[in-house]
Amino acid sequence: MGDQWTKWQESVINETAANAKRLARLPSLLQRAQRVKKGATPSEVVYELDHIKLLHYPTQSPPKFATPLIFVFALVNRPYILDLKPDRSVVNHFVRHGFDTYLVDWGAPSHADRFLTLDDYINGYLANIVDFVRERTDAPRVNILGYCMGGTMSAMFTALHRDPVKNLILLAAGIDFSTRDGLLNLWTRAEYFDVDRFVDAFGNCPAEFLQSSFLLLKPVQNLIEKPISFFEKADDDEAIDDFLTMETWLNDNIPVAGEVYREFVKYLYQQNLLVQNKMPVGKHIVDLRKITCPVLNIMAKADDLVPCVQSMPFNDLVSSKDRHAIIAPAGHIGLAVGSKAQREVWPQACDWLAKRSNAAR
Amino acid sequence: MNDESDDPKQTAEQWAAFQKIWTDSFAKMMQLGFSYSPEAAPPEFLRQIRTGIFQALSQSWDQFLRSPQFMEGMKQWMEQAVSFRKMSNDFFTKVRHETQGTAQKDVDAVLVALQQLETRVLNRVEELAAEVDALKTGRKGGTPKKKKRRNRN
Repeated sequence: MGDQWTKWQESVINETAANAKRLARLPSLLQRAQRVKKGATPSEVVYELDHIKLLHYPTQSPPKFATPLIFVFALVNRPYILDLKPDRSVVNHFVRHGFDTYLVDWGAPSHADRFLTLDDYINGYLANIVDFVRERTDAPRVNILGYCMGGTMSAMFTALHRDPVKNLILLAAGIDFSTRDGLLNLWTRAEYFDVDRFVDAFGNCPAEFLQSSFLLLKPVQNLIEKPISFFEKADDDEAIDDFLTMETWLNDNIPVAGEVYREFVKYLYQQNLLVQNKMPVGKHIVDLRKITCPVLNIMAKADDLVPCVQSMPFNDLVSSKDRHAIIAPAGHIGLAVGSKAQREVWPQACDWLAKRSNAAR
Repeated sequence: MNDESDDPKQTAEQWAAFQKIWTDSFAKMMQLGFSYSPEAAPPEFLRQIRTGIFQALSQSWDQFLRSPQFMEGMKQWMEQAVSFRKMSNDFFTKVRHETQGTAQKDVDAVLVALQQLETRVLNRVEELAAEVDALKTGRKGGTPKKKKRRNRN
Protein backbone atom coordinates (compact mmCIF):
# COMPACT_ATOMS: atom_id res chain seq x y z
CA MET A 1 0.00 0.00 0.00
CA GLY A 2 2.90 2.32 0.85
CA ASP A 3 4.47 1.67 -2.55
CA GLN A 4 1.21 2.44 -4.33
CA TRP A 5 0.83 5.65 -2.43
CA THR A 6 4.38 6.72 -3.39
CA LYS A 7 3.65 5.89 -7.06
CA TRP A 8 0.47 7.95 -6.95
CA GLN A 9 2.27 10.86 -5.43
CA GLU A 10 5.04 10.59 -8.00
CA SER A 11 2.63 10.60 -10.94
CA VAL A 12 0.73 13.59 -9.59
CA ILE A 13 3.97 15.51 -9.02
CA ASN A 14 5.25 14.60 -12.50
CA GLU A 15 2.02 15.71 -14.13
CA THR A 16 2.05 19.01 -12.23
CA ALA A 17 5.66 19.65 -13.25
CA ALA A 18 4.86 18.80 -16.90
CA ASN A 19 1.90 21.21 -16.84
CA ALA A 20 4.07 23.99 -15.43
CA LYS A 21 6.61 23.36 -18.19
CA ARG A 22 3.86 23.44 -20.85
CA LEU A 23 2.47 26.65 -19.44
CA ALA A 24 5.89 28.29 -19.60
CA ARG A 25 6.19 27.36 -23.28
CA LEU A 26 2.88 28.94 -24.35
CA PRO A 27 4.11 32.55 -24.93
CA SER A 28 6.84 31.36 -27.32
CA LEU A 29 4.26 29.39 -29.31
CA LEU A 30 2.50 32.60 -30.28
CA GLN A 31 5.58 33.73 -32.19
CA ARG A 32 5.86 30.33 -33.75
CA ALA A 33 2.25 30.51 -34.92
CA GLN A 34 3.07 33.68 -36.85
CA ARG A 35 5.93 31.98 -38.66
CA VAL A 36 3.89 29.08 -40.07
CA LYS A 37 4.71 28.56 -43.74
CA LYS A 38 1.80 28.33 -46.15
CA GLY A 39 2.53 25.73 -48.80
CA ALA A 40 5.44 23.31 -48.61
CA THR A 41 6.32 22.38 -52.20
CA PRO A 42 8.20 25.03 -54.23
CA SER A 43 5.80 26.70 -56.64
CA GLU A 44 5.58 29.55 -59.14
CA VAL A 45 2.59 31.62 -60.24
CA VAL A 46 2.11 31.04 -63.97
CA TYR A 47 -1.27 32.63 -64.56
CA GLU A 48 -3.28 35.37 -62.89
CA LEU A 49 -6.76 36.62 -63.56
CA ASP A 50 -8.62 38.95 -61.18
CA HIS A 51 -8.08 37.39 -57.72
CA ILE A 52 -7.21 34.01 -59.15
CA LYS A 53 -3.73 32.55 -59.32
CA LEU A 54 -2.57 29.35 -60.91
CA LEU A 55 0.40 27.78 -59.14
CA HIS A 56 2.75 25.45 -60.96
CA TYR A 57 5.03 23.03 -59.14
CA PRO A 58 8.26 22.89 -61.14
CA THR A 59 10.56 19.90 -60.83
CA GLN A 60 14.21 19.45 -61.69
CA SER A 61 13.54 16.48 -63.93
CA PRO A 62 10.94 16.66 -66.72
CA PRO A 63 7.50 15.20 -65.89
CA LYS A 64 7.01 11.48 -66.48
CA PHE A 65 3.47 11.90 -67.79
CA ALA A 66 2.25 13.93 -70.74
CA THR A 67 -1.09 14.98 -69.26
CA PRO A 68 -0.89 17.79 -66.68
CA LEU A 69 -2.84 17.60 -63.44
CA ILE A 70 -4.88 20.54 -62.11
CA PHE A 71 -5.99 20.71 -58.48
CA VAL A 72 -9.27 22.58 -58.03
CA PHE A 73 -9.94 23.57 -54.45
CA ALA A 74 -13.10 24.87 -52.74
CA LEU A 75 -14.01 28.56 -52.63
CA VAL A 76 -14.38 28.62 -48.84
CA ASN A 77 -10.76 28.16 -47.73
CA ARG A 78 -7.22 28.63 -48.96
CA PRO A 79 -5.89 25.75 -51.07
CA TYR A 80 -2.61 25.16 -49.22
CA ILE A 81 -4.28 22.40 -47.20
CA LEU A 82 -3.36 20.25 -50.19
CA ASP A 83 0.28 21.15 -49.64
CA LEU A 84 0.42 21.70 -45.90
CA LYS A 85 3.77 20.19 -44.95
CA PRO A 86 6.37 18.16 -46.88
CA ASP A 87 5.23 14.93 -45.23
CA ARG A 88 1.53 15.85 -45.43
CA SER A 89 1.17 17.08 -48.96
CA VAL A 90 -1.17 15.65 -51.57
CA VAL A 91 0.50 17.88 -54.17
CA ASN A 92 3.92 16.48 -53.28
CA HIS A 93 2.68 12.90 -53.84
CA PHE A 94 1.71 13.69 -57.43
CA VAL A 95 4.80 15.85 -58.10
CA ARG A 96 7.08 13.04 -56.87
CA HIS A 97 5.14 10.55 -58.97
CA GLY A 98 6.09 12.55 -62.08
CA PHE A 99 2.92 14.55 -62.82
CA ASP A 100 3.15 18.10 -64.12
CA THR A 101 1.06 19.62 -61.33
CA TYR A 102 -0.93 22.86 -61.07
CA LEU A 103 -3.09 24.25 -58.27
CA VAL A 104 -5.89 26.79 -58.60
CA ASP A 105 -5.91 29.44 -55.87
CA TRP A 106 -9.27 31.20 -56.20
CA GLY A 107 -8.21 34.05 -53.91
CA ALA A 108 -10.57 36.09 -51.76
CA PRO A 109 -13.42 37.78 -53.62
CA SER A 110 -13.90 41.48 -52.94
CA HIS A 111 -17.26 43.18 -52.71
CA ALA A 112 -17.02 43.88 -56.46
CA ASP A 113 -17.13 40.11 -57.02
CA ARG A 114 -20.40 39.56 -55.21
CA PHE A 115 -22.27 39.05 -58.49
CA LEU A 116 -19.91 36.35 -59.77
CA THR A 117 -21.85 33.18 -60.41
CA LEU A 118 -20.96 29.51 -60.78
CA ASP A 119 -21.06 30.19 -64.51
CA ASP A 120 -18.22 32.72 -64.11
CA TYR A 121 -16.18 30.29 -62.06
CA ILE A 122 -16.83 27.14 -64.11
CA ASN A 123 -17.29 28.33 -67.68
CA GLY A 124 -15.15 31.40 -67.17
CA TYR A 125 -12.21 31.08 -64.83
CA LEU A 126 -11.83 27.29 -64.80
CA ALA A 127 -12.29 26.99 -68.55
CA ASN A 128 -9.64 29.69 -69.06
CA ILE A 129 -7.25 27.92 -66.69
CA VAL A 130 -7.72 24.57 -68.43
CA ASP A 131 -7.11 26.18 -71.83
CA PHE A 132 -4.05 27.98 -70.49
CA VAL A 133 -2.55 24.76 -69.13
CA ARG A 134 -3.31 22.91 -72.37
CA GLU A 135 -1.57 25.60 -74.39
CA ARG A 136 1.35 25.83 -71.97
CA THR A 137 2.01 22.11 -71.88
CA ASP A 138 0.95 21.37 -75.44
CA ALA A 139 -1.33 18.67 -74.06
CA PRO A 140 -4.75 18.13 -75.65
CA ARG A 141 -6.30 17.18 -72.33
CA VAL A 142 -5.77 17.64 -68.59
CA ASN A 143 -6.40 15.61 -65.45
CA ILE A 144 -8.52 17.34 -62.82
CA LEU A 145 -8.58 16.69 -59.08
CA GLY A 146 -11.35 18.57 -57.26
CA TYR A 147 -11.58 18.76 -53.47
CA CYS A 148 -14.84 19.41 -51.57
CA MET A 149 -16.76 22.25 -53.27
CA GLY A 150 -13.98 22.28 -55.89
CA GLY A 151 -14.88 18.64 -56.60
CA THR A 152 -18.52 19.56 -57.20
CA MET A 153 -17.39 22.34 -59.52
CA SER A 154 -14.95 20.00 -61.30
CA ALA A 155 -17.74 17.49 -61.88
CA MET A 156 -19.92 20.26 -63.36
CA PHE A 157 -17.02 21.45 -65.53
CA THR A 158 -16.35 17.94 -66.83
CA ALA A 159 -20.03 17.44 -67.66
CA LEU A 160 -20.16 20.75 -69.54
CA HIS A 161 -16.75 20.54 -71.27
CA ARG A 162 -16.05 16.87 -71.81
CA ASP A 163 -13.24 17.04 -74.37
CA PRO A 164 -10.45 18.65 -72.34
CA VAL A 165 -10.71 16.30 -69.33
CA LYS A 166 -8.79 13.03 -69.52
CA ASN A 167 -9.30 11.78 -65.97
CA LEU A 168 -11.36 13.15 -63.10
CA ILE A 169 -10.58 12.63 -59.43
CA LEU A 170 -13.08 13.81 -56.84
CA LEU A 171 -12.11 14.20 -53.24
CA ALA A 172 -14.94 14.48 -50.70
CA ALA A 173 -17.13 16.22 -53.26
CA GLY A 174 -20.80 16.89 -52.56
CA ILE A 175 -23.02 15.47 -55.30
CA ASP A 176 -26.27 14.19 -53.77
CA PHE A 177 -27.48 16.72 -51.20
CA SER A 178 -30.64 14.84 -50.23
CA THR A 179 -29.00 13.32 -47.17
CA ARG A 180 -29.81 14.64 -43.71
CA ASP A 181 -26.71 13.02 -42.17
CA GLY A 182 -24.64 16.18 -42.27
CA LEU A 183 -25.53 19.13 -40.09
CA LEU A 184 -24.93 21.55 -42.95
CA ASN A 185 -27.61 19.74 -44.94
CA LEU A 186 -30.05 20.23 -42.06
CA TRP A 187 -29.18 23.82 -41.29
CA THR A 188 -29.55 24.94 -44.90
CA ARG A 189 -33.08 23.52 -45.30
CA ALA A 190 -35.27 26.07 -47.07
CA GLU A 191 -37.72 26.35 -44.14
CA TYR A 192 -34.92 27.38 -41.78
CA PHE A 193 -32.50 29.31 -43.97
CA ASP A 194 -33.59 32.03 -46.38
CA VAL A 195 -30.48 32.28 -48.54
CA ASP A 196 -31.97 35.01 -50.75
CA ARG A 197 -32.51 37.41 -47.86
CA PHE A 198 -29.08 36.51 -46.48
CA VAL A 199 -27.19 37.23 -49.73
CA ASP A 200 -29.26 40.34 -50.48
CA ALA A 201 -28.33 41.76 -47.08
CA PHE A 202 -24.70 40.63 -46.76
CA GLY A 203 -23.47 40.46 -50.37
CA ASN A 204 -20.60 38.00 -50.16
CA CYS A 205 -21.02 35.24 -47.60
CA PRO A 206 -18.74 36.46 -44.76
CA ALA A 207 -15.74 34.31 -43.85
CA GLU A 208 -16.61 34.59 -40.16
CA PHE A 209 -20.06 33.14 -40.81
CA LEU A 210 -18.57 30.13 -42.59
CA GLN A 211 -15.91 29.74 -39.91
CA SER A 212 -18.44 29.71 -37.07
CA SER A 213 -20.68 27.26 -38.95
CA PHE A 214 -17.74 24.87 -39.35
CA LEU A 215 -16.79 25.26 -35.68
CA LEU A 216 -20.34 24.50 -34.62
CA LEU A 217 -20.35 21.19 -36.50
CA LYS A 218 -18.36 19.67 -33.64
CA PRO A 219 -18.47 22.19 -30.81
CA VAL A 220 -17.10 19.95 -28.05
CA GLN A 221 -14.14 18.78 -30.14
CA ASN A 222 -13.37 22.21 -31.57
CA LEU A 223 -13.92 24.40 -28.54
CA ILE A 224 -13.02 22.17 -25.59
CA GLU A 225 -11.07 19.07 -26.58
CA LYS A 226 -8.77 20.78 -29.08
CA PRO A 227 -7.41 23.44 -26.70
CA ILE A 228 -6.89 20.80 -24.00
CA SER A 229 -5.11 18.50 -26.41
CA PHE A 230 -2.98 21.44 -27.60
CA PHE A 231 -1.98 22.21 -24.02
CA GLU A 232 -1.14 18.60 -23.27
CA LYS A 233 1.13 18.41 -26.30
CA ALA A 234 2.76 21.78 -25.71
CA ASP A 235 6.09 20.07 -24.97
CA ASP A 236 6.03 17.97 -28.14
CA ASP A 237 7.62 20.03 -30.92
CA GLU A 238 6.31 17.98 -33.82
CA ALA A 239 2.74 17.86 -32.48
CA ILE A 240 2.78 21.62 -31.91
CA ASP A 241 4.10 22.22 -35.39
CA ASP A 242 1.28 20.11 -36.86
CA PHE A 243 -1.28 21.85 -34.67
CA LEU A 244 -0.17 25.37 -35.56
CA THR A 245 0.00 24.62 -39.28
CA MET A 246 -3.46 23.12 -39.20
CA GLU A 247 -4.96 25.93 -37.12
CA THR A 248 -3.41 28.57 -39.38
CA TRP A 249 -5.22 26.99 -42.31
CA LEU A 250 -8.49 26.46 -40.41
CA ASN A 251 -8.60 30.13 -39.43
CA ASP A 252 -7.68 31.34 -42.89
CA ASN A 253 -11.27 31.34 -44.20
CA ILE A 254 -12.24 33.55 -47.09
CA PRO A 255 -15.64 34.93 -48.08
CA VAL A 256 -17.60 33.30 -50.89
CA ALA A 257 -18.97 35.40 -53.75
CA GLY A 258 -22.62 36.12 -52.88
CA GLU A 259 -24.24 34.74 -56.03
CA VAL A 260 -22.14 31.57 -55.96
CA TYR A 261 -23.20 31.03 -52.36
CA ARG A 262 -26.83 31.61 -53.28
CA GLU A 263 -26.65 29.14 -56.18
CA PHE A 264 -24.81 26.54 -54.14
CA VAL A 265 -27.24 26.65 -51.23
CA LYS A 266 -30.40 27.00 -53.28
CA TYR A 267 -29.75 24.65 -56.19
CA LEU A 268 -27.71 22.04 -54.36
CA TYR A 269 -28.46 22.01 -50.62
CA GLN A 270 -32.12 22.97 -50.96
CA GLN A 271 -33.25 21.67 -54.36
CA ASN A 272 -30.62 18.98 -54.98
CA LEU A 273 -30.64 19.66 -58.74
CA LEU A 274 -27.26 18.14 -59.62
CA VAL A 275 -28.31 14.51 -59.18
CA GLN A 276 -31.49 15.22 -61.14
CA ASN A 277 -29.36 16.54 -64.04
CA LYS A 278 -31.16 19.87 -63.75
CA MET A 279 -28.42 22.02 -62.25
CA PRO A 280 -28.28 25.38 -64.10
CA VAL A 281 -24.86 26.93 -64.71
CA GLY A 282 -25.43 30.10 -66.70
CA LYS A 283 -27.34 29.14 -69.83
CA HIS A 284 -26.36 25.51 -69.51
CA ILE A 285 -27.80 22.59 -67.59
CA VAL A 286 -25.35 20.15 -66.04
CA ASP A 287 -26.04 16.58 -67.06
CA LEU A 288 -23.72 14.25 -65.16
CA ARG A 289 -24.49 11.48 -67.66
CA LYS A 290 -22.30 13.35 -70.13
CA ILE A 291 -19.20 12.50 -68.09
CA THR A 292 -17.46 9.64 -69.88
CA CYS A 293 -13.84 9.95 -68.76
CA PRO A 294 -12.36 7.65 -66.09
CA VAL A 295 -13.36 8.79 -62.61
CA LEU A 296 -11.94 8.14 -59.17
CA ASN A 297 -14.20 9.11 -56.31
CA ILE A 298 -12.37 9.40 -52.99
CA MET A 299 -14.52 9.73 -49.88
CA ALA A 300 -13.90 10.00 -46.14
CA LYS A 301 -15.75 7.61 -43.87
CA ALA A 302 -15.89 10.03 -40.91
CA ASP A 303 -16.59 13.17 -42.94
CA ASP A 304 -18.90 15.51 -41.03
CA LEU A 305 -18.84 18.24 -43.70
CA VAL A 306 -19.55 16.16 -46.80
CA PRO A 307 -20.84 12.80 -45.53
CA CYS A 308 -19.86 9.78 -47.58
CA VAL A 309 -23.45 9.26 -48.73
CA GLN A 310 -23.34 12.67 -50.35
CA SER A 311 -20.43 11.71 -52.66
CA MET A 312 -21.21 8.01 -53.09
CA PRO A 313 -23.90 8.27 -55.85
CA PHE A 314 -21.53 10.05 -58.26
CA ASN A 315 -20.13 6.88 -59.84
CA ASP A 316 -23.66 5.66 -60.64
CA LEU A 317 -24.69 8.96 -62.19
CA VAL A 318 -21.92 9.23 -64.80
CA SER A 319 -21.62 7.29 -68.06
CA SER A 320 -17.95 6.47 -67.54
CA LYS A 321 -17.11 2.80 -67.84
CA ASP A 322 -13.91 3.19 -65.86
CA ARG A 323 -15.00 4.32 -62.40
CA HIS A 324 -13.52 3.60 -59.02
CA ALA A 325 -14.18 4.60 -55.46
CA ILE A 326 -11.98 4.72 -52.39
CA ILE A 327 -13.46 5.13 -48.93
CA ALA A 328 -10.76 6.22 -46.53
CA PRO A 329 -11.04 5.89 -42.76
CA ALA A 330 -10.58 9.62 -42.24
CA GLY A 331 -12.42 12.89 -41.79
CA HIS A 332 -12.94 15.66 -44.33
CA ILE A 333 -9.55 17.27 -43.71
CA GLY A 334 -7.79 14.10 -42.61
CA LEU A 335 -8.34 12.87 -46.15
CA ALA A 336 -5.81 15.43 -47.32
CA VAL A 337 -3.43 15.71 -44.39
CA GLY A 338 -3.94 12.62 -42.23
CA SER A 339 -0.95 10.31 -41.91
CA LYS A 340 -3.05 7.25 -42.79
CA ALA A 341 -4.35 8.91 -45.95
CA GLN A 342 -0.79 9.91 -46.83
CA ARG A 343 0.34 6.31 -46.44
CA GLU A 344 -2.60 4.51 -48.02
CA VAL A 345 -4.91 6.72 -50.11
CA TRP A 346 -2.57 8.96 -52.06
CA PRO A 347 -0.10 6.34 -53.33
CA GLN A 348 -3.19 4.43 -54.52
CA ALA A 349 -4.61 7.53 -56.24
CA CYS A 350 -1.23 8.28 -57.87
CA ASP A 351 -1.08 4.71 -59.22
CA TRP A 352 -4.66 4.98 -60.50
CA LEU A 353 -3.84 8.15 -62.41
CA ALA A 354 -0.48 6.86 -63.64
CA LYS A 355 -2.16 3.80 -65.18
CA ARG A 356 -4.48 6.10 -67.13
CA SER A 357 -1.88 8.60 -68.25
CA ASN A 358 0.41 8.52 -71.29
CA ALA A 359 4.13 8.69 -70.72
CA ALA A 360 5.76 11.98 -71.70
CA ARG A 361 7.73 11.94 -74.94
CA MET B 1 -42.35 26.94 -32.90
CA ASN B 2 -43.16 24.60 -35.71
CA ASP B 3 -45.44 21.61 -35.61
CA GLU B 4 -42.54 19.21 -35.20
CA SER B 5 -41.30 20.74 -31.97
CA ASP B 6 -44.82 20.95 -30.57
CA ASP B 7 -45.32 17.27 -30.95
CA PRO B 8 -45.11 15.92 -27.36
CA LYS B 9 -44.23 12.45 -28.60
CA GLN B 10 -41.22 13.73 -30.46
CA THR B 11 -40.10 15.85 -27.53
CA ALA B 12 -40.38 12.81 -25.28
CA GLU B 13 -38.32 10.77 -27.74
CA GLN B 14 -35.66 13.47 -27.84
CA TRP B 15 -35.54 13.62 -24.08
CA ALA B 16 -35.30 9.84 -23.86
CA ALA B 17 -32.41 9.81 -26.36
CA PHE B 18 -30.66 12.55 -24.40
CA GLN B 19 -31.12 10.61 -21.16
CA LYS B 20 -29.82 7.45 -22.80
CA ILE B 21 -26.59 9.15 -23.90
CA TRP B 22 -25.85 10.32 -20.37
CA THR B 23 -26.98 7.11 -18.67
CA ASP B 24 -24.73 5.09 -20.99
CA SER B 25 -21.85 7.44 -20.38
CA PHE B 26 -22.22 7.31 -16.61
CA ALA B 27 -22.51 3.53 -16.79
CA LYS B 28 -19.24 3.46 -18.74
CA MET B 29 -17.58 5.72 -16.21
CA MET B 30 -18.83 3.58 -13.32
CA GLN B 31 -17.47 0.54 -15.09
CA LEU B 32 -14.16 2.33 -15.44
CA GLY B 33 -14.24 3.12 -11.74
CA PHE B 34 -14.80 -0.54 -10.78
CA SER B 35 -12.15 -1.77 -13.18
CA TYR B 36 -9.70 0.76 -11.81
CA SER B 37 -6.35 -0.75 -11.06
CA PRO B 38 -4.18 0.79 -8.36
CA GLU B 39 -1.27 0.32 -10.80
CA ALA B 40 -2.65 3.03 -13.07
CA ALA B 41 -1.51 6.56 -12.36
CA PRO B 42 -4.29 8.96 -11.25
CA PRO B 43 -3.81 11.43 -14.16
CA GLU B 44 -4.36 8.61 -16.64
CA PHE B 45 -7.50 7.50 -14.81
CA LEU B 46 -8.83 11.07 -14.80
CA ARG B 47 -8.09 11.35 -18.53
CA GLN B 48 -10.23 8.30 -19.22
CA ILE B 49 -13.11 9.78 -17.22
CA ARG B 50 -12.68 13.07 -19.09
CA THR B 51 -12.82 11.26 -22.44
CA GLY B 52 -16.07 9.61 -21.37
CA ILE B 53 -17.61 12.93 -20.37
CA PHE B 54 -16.54 14.59 -23.62
CA GLN B 55 -17.97 11.72 -25.65
CA ALA B 56 -21.33 12.08 -23.94
CA LEU B 57 -21.19 15.85 -24.27
CA SER B 58 -20.47 15.75 -27.99
CA GLN B 59 -23.26 13.23 -28.59
CA SER B 60 -25.70 15.42 -26.67
CA TRP B 61 -24.58 18.50 -28.61
CA ASP B 62 -24.92 16.71 -31.92
CA GLN B 63 -28.43 15.73 -30.98
CA PHE B 64 -29.24 19.26 -29.87
CA LEU B 65 -27.82 20.78 -33.08
CA ARG B 66 -30.18 18.55 -35.04
CA SER B 67 -33.25 19.33 -32.94
CA PRO B 68 -36.13 21.47 -34.25
CA GLN B 69 -35.68 23.69 -31.19
CA PHE B 70 -32.14 24.61 -32.25
CA MET B 71 -33.13 25.01 -35.90
CA GLU B 72 -35.98 27.31 -34.93
CA GLY B 73 -33.65 29.35 -32.70
CA MET B 74 -31.08 29.53 -35.50
CA LYS B 75 -33.75 30.70 -37.93
CA GLN B 76 -34.84 33.50 -35.61
CA TRP B 77 -31.27 34.53 -34.92
CA MET B 78 -30.50 34.63 -38.66
CA GLU B 79 -33.62 36.68 -39.35
CA GLN B 80 -32.58 39.20 -36.73
CA ALA B 81 -29.04 39.38 -38.08
CA VAL B 82 -30.32 39.91 -41.63
CA SER B 83 -32.82 42.56 -40.51
CA PHE B 84 -30.12 44.39 -38.59
CA ARG B 85 -27.79 44.28 -41.57
CA LYS B 86 -30.52 45.56 -43.87
CA MET B 87 -31.34 48.34 -41.47
CA SER B 88 -27.71 49.44 -41.25
CA ASN B 89 -27.33 49.20 -45.06
CA ASP B 90 -30.39 51.40 -45.53
CA PHE B 91 -29.16 53.87 -42.93
CA PHE B 92 -25.72 54.25 -44.50
CA THR B 93 -27.20 54.51 -47.99
CA LYS B 94 -29.42 57.32 -46.81
CA VAL B 95 -26.55 59.10 -45.07
CA ARG B 96 -24.35 58.91 -48.16
CA HIS B 97 -27.10 60.03 -50.47
CA GLU B 98 -27.91 62.96 -48.19
CA THR B 99 -24.26 64.03 -48.36
CA GLN B 100 -24.19 63.60 -52.16
CA GLY B 101 -21.92 60.56 -51.77
CA THR B 102 -21.88 57.17 -53.45
CA ALA B 103 -23.41 54.35 -51.48
CA GLN B 104 -22.67 50.63 -51.77
CA LYS B 105 -26.07 50.24 -53.36
CA ASP B 106 -25.02 52.52 -56.24
CA VAL B 107 -21.81 50.56 -56.79
CA ASP B 108 -23.85 47.34 -56.85
CA ALA B 109 -26.22 48.84 -59.42
CA VAL B 110 -23.27 49.75 -61.66
CA LEU B 111 -21.84 46.23 -61.24
CA VAL B 112 -25.14 44.65 -62.23
CA ALA B 113 -25.46 46.95 -65.24
CA LEU B 114 -21.91 46.05 -66.33
CA GLN B 115 -22.58 42.36 -65.91
CA GLN B 116 -25.73 42.55 -67.99
CA LEU B 117 -23.85 44.49 -70.67
CA GLU B 118 -21.10 41.86 -70.63
CA THR B 119 -23.66 39.05 -70.98
CA ARG B 120 -25.33 40.78 -73.92
CA VAL B 121 -21.98 41.36 -75.69
CA LEU B 122 -20.90 37.76 -75.07
CA ASN B 123 -24.21 36.42 -76.37
CA ARG B 124 -23.83 38.52 -79.50
CA VAL B 125 -20.22 37.35 -79.95
CA GLU B 126 -21.39 33.76 -79.62
CA GLU B 127 -24.04 34.29 -82.27
CA LEU B 128 -21.52 35.94 -84.58
CA ALA B 129 -19.04 33.12 -83.97
CA ALA B 130 -21.73 30.58 -84.87
CA GLU B 131 -22.57 32.49 -88.05
CA VAL B 132 -18.89 32.72 -89.05
CA ASP B 133 -18.52 29.04 -88.34
CA ALA B 134 -21.54 28.25 -90.50
CA LEU B 135 -20.17 30.39 -93.32
CA LYS B 136 -16.76 28.70 -93.07
CA THR B 137 -18.14 25.21 -93.23
CA GLY B 138 -20.39 26.29 -96.09
CA ARG B 139 -23.45 24.90 -94.40
CA LYS B 140 -26.64 26.72 -93.69
CA GLY B 141 -27.19 27.31 -89.97
CA GLY B 142 -23.99 25.53 -88.88
CA THR B 143 -23.84 24.09 -85.40
CA PRO B 144 -23.06 26.83 -82.90
CA LYS B 145 -19.70 26.77 -81.24
CA LYS B 146 -19.46 26.17 -77.53
CA LYS B 147 -19.89 29.11 -75.22
CA LYS B 148 -17.23 31.77 -75.59
CA ARG B 149 -14.94 31.96 -72.62
CA ARG B 150 -15.34 34.93 -70.41
CA ASN B 151 -12.19 36.88 -69.90
CA ARG B 152 -12.79 39.29 -67.07
CA ASN B 153 -9.57 41.25 -67.72
